[in-house]
Amino acid sequence: MNSCIPLNDLREGELARVSGLDAVSAPGATASEAQQLLARLRDLGFVSGARCQVIARMWLGGDPLVVKIGGSTFALRRAEASAVLVEPVQQPLAGQTRIPQNASATA
Amino acid sequence: MDAAVKTLRVALVGVPNCGKTALFNRLTGSRQKVANYAGVTVERREGERTAADGRAIRVLDLPGTYSLSPTTLDEAITRDVLLGRVAGESAPDLVVCVVDAVHLPIGLRLALEVKRAGVPIVIALNRMDVARRRGVRIDLERLSSELGLTVVPTVAVARGGADALIAVIDAPRWMDLRAVATPQWQAPSAADAEQTQADLRALLANVGYEAPADSAWGRRVDALLLHPLGGFVVFAVVMFLIFQAVFSWATPIMDGIDGSMAHLGAWVKTTLGDGPLPSLLADGVIAGAGAVLVFLPQIVILFFFILVFEDSGYLPRAAYLLDRLMGWVGLSGRAFIPLLSSHACAIPGIMATRTIPAWRDRLTTIMVAPLMTCSARLPVYGLIIAAFIPARDVGWFNLQGLILFGLYAAGILSAFLVAFVLKQFGGARRYSPLMLELPDFQWPHAGNLLLGLWERVKIFVNRVGGIILALMIVLWFLATYPAPPDGATGPAIQYSFAGRLGALLEYVFAPIGFNWQISIALVPGLAAREVAVASLGTVYALSATGDDLSTQLEPVIAHGWSLATAGSLLAWYVFAPQCLSTLAVVKRETNSWRYPLIMAGYLFALAYLASFITYRVLS
Repeated sequence: MNSCIPLNDLREGELARVSGLDAVSAPGATASEAQQLLARLRDLGFVSGARCQVIARMWLGGDPLVVKIGGSTFALRRAEASAVLVEPVQQPLAGQTRIPQNASATA
Repeated sequence: MDAAVKTLRVALVGVPNCGKTALFNRLTGSRQKVANYAGVTVERREGERTAADGRAIRVLDLPGTYSLSPTTLDEAITRDVLLGRVAGESAPDLVVCVVDAVHLPIGLRLALEVKRAGVPIVIALNRMDVARRRGVRIDLERLSSELGLTVVPTVAVARGGADALIAVIDAPRWMDLRAVATPQWQAPSAADAEQTQADLRALLANVGYEAPADSAWGRRVDALLLHPLGGFVVFAVVMFLIFQAVFSWATPIMDGIDGSMAHLGAWVKTTLGDGPLPSLLADGVIAGAGAVLVFLPQIVILFFFILVFEDSGYLPRAAYLLDRLMGWVGLSGRAFIPLLSSHACAIPGIMATRTIPAWRDRLTTIMVAPLMTCSARLPVYGLIIAAFIPARDVGWFNLQGLILFGLYAAGILSAFLVAFVLKQFGGARRYSPLMLELPDFQWPHAGNLLLGLWERVKIFVNRVGGIILALMIVLWFLATYPAPPDGATGPAIQYSFAGRLGALLEYVFAPIGFNWQISIALVPGLAAREVAVASLGTVYALSATGDDLSTQLEPVIAHGWSLATAGSLLAWYVFAPQCLSTLAVVKRETNSWRYPLIMAGYLFALAYLASFITYRVLS
């Protein structure tokens, strides 16, 4: 699918599904730092199929931003968020959004 | 068998904010010992409990971690202890994996990883009360059978909330099941990690877990606290209130302590008469220790707020707000937490920088940490402000509180400037991570709060009783002998060793307005900053002539110093290069003499410069 965007471009409140990780996007990181970043993102639940949502952004470019994933909430810098590729989920839900953690990968 | 008489060693592991430390307190009560792991300064928290059958069980609280693949020193220690890789520290006999039932996925993933490494574990499903309230359903039996592990529900913050876990830990069977094989673990490949997540997803579906919707309350609070404008307004108001509280709430208690110390000193002198021993007691011990002890209430109030913020989940939110600002001067938002604790004392602050993954970020944070106004400076600020600043109200605020706020602000501002300068030496733009979890808000738990405060009070009082007291006795000796020659006219202290030393130092410090009494006081202040006040107490008590037996310092300096001198001393203490213990910790943390030397050098230069300017402007 070609509707993938980096997580840091996701609009506030919009629901999305993770489609993969992309190390190249972490600027300024050494190879081992990039590896470490990806491994940690995976362990926090940023894997294909997981649902996530941006719930807050700082002014001037949204750096850092706050992301909900798997029932937990994380503040990420732009550089970190840009390593996560997401696909916005079509029906935008307002306000009372539930994020089903166990949405299956094929859904 | 001699293995049977050995004590069982239990370790607690879990992701940050899962309630692990509250559970640890529940298991061990106040029988805790805080030390360091050999060779590194990662805090090692161990406690002891007595099982129902009388056996002693040692409980170790490992630093929180999300994964066995570490990104920080703390996390590396947790992994190494679990796997038995730390020298002088064999792998624990039993590991309690604390999993937050509300945020099941992230904690359960760690449990899966730890279990697969071959570590003997049981699972404590914590915060069950909150989970139930928020409609989270977990089939405990299914979870236990799917994992093949014992799973016990706990509520760490409730009385009796850990009873089920205690019953499990206290059971004698762990003594027989003690690790026969050493744990094995390899850094997982990307495919392994994805597989673990897939297994986790299946497991969560089987036990019926669904992430709860945010409470409407929590969402509204976050909408405000994380708002780019509203968040900063709240932050500023909160910080300002703390400083007002430190000054106005503490005053009555401080006056009480001050008064009783003065009475005690006078009583000793009138009861025991003249002579070396009463003088040592009254002028050395009581005047010195009393001058520092007075500040205990302020320090308790400051720590109270820091602990409340830590417990409630506000700290990481403040770190998020400040990340951009701190990134601009080359610090990570994560540096906010170590820098805030540096306001209590730079040493735990510098040690807390271990949670910052990038070395460069960490080094910058360490270098500016001593610029944060530590509680040891409060005695100095408190003394001078009380003596020179009238306690009147300016609008809604207390003028003394305002000045104190200004001094704190001066420290923070200079930290930003120094970090900015250091960044210019750093070279090209570098990657520095934030990746900080924002935990659910919760009301701080009174018991844990009290335990934390008690620990701080103990450390402070031990310092007063130990190092400060010893230094005061040495200083009293130096300031009393040799006795003045017959027919001497000035106060006796001028003829003593300390008096002569002070006269020499005055050459260095006269340009910034310090008299010889202040110059002497700065020397023992090297060991601990608050000693400077105690030393002033001793020096002035000994320089008092005739029947002026006052042990109260404040009126003496209000009378004896010019405003310019007072201002200059305040400016000096904003930078205050003299704290040997901080420098020693920097040496240990950076493993090099280079950084502590640079630190001492730049702080001294800034202190002298700032005092010089202040003195010239005010006089």
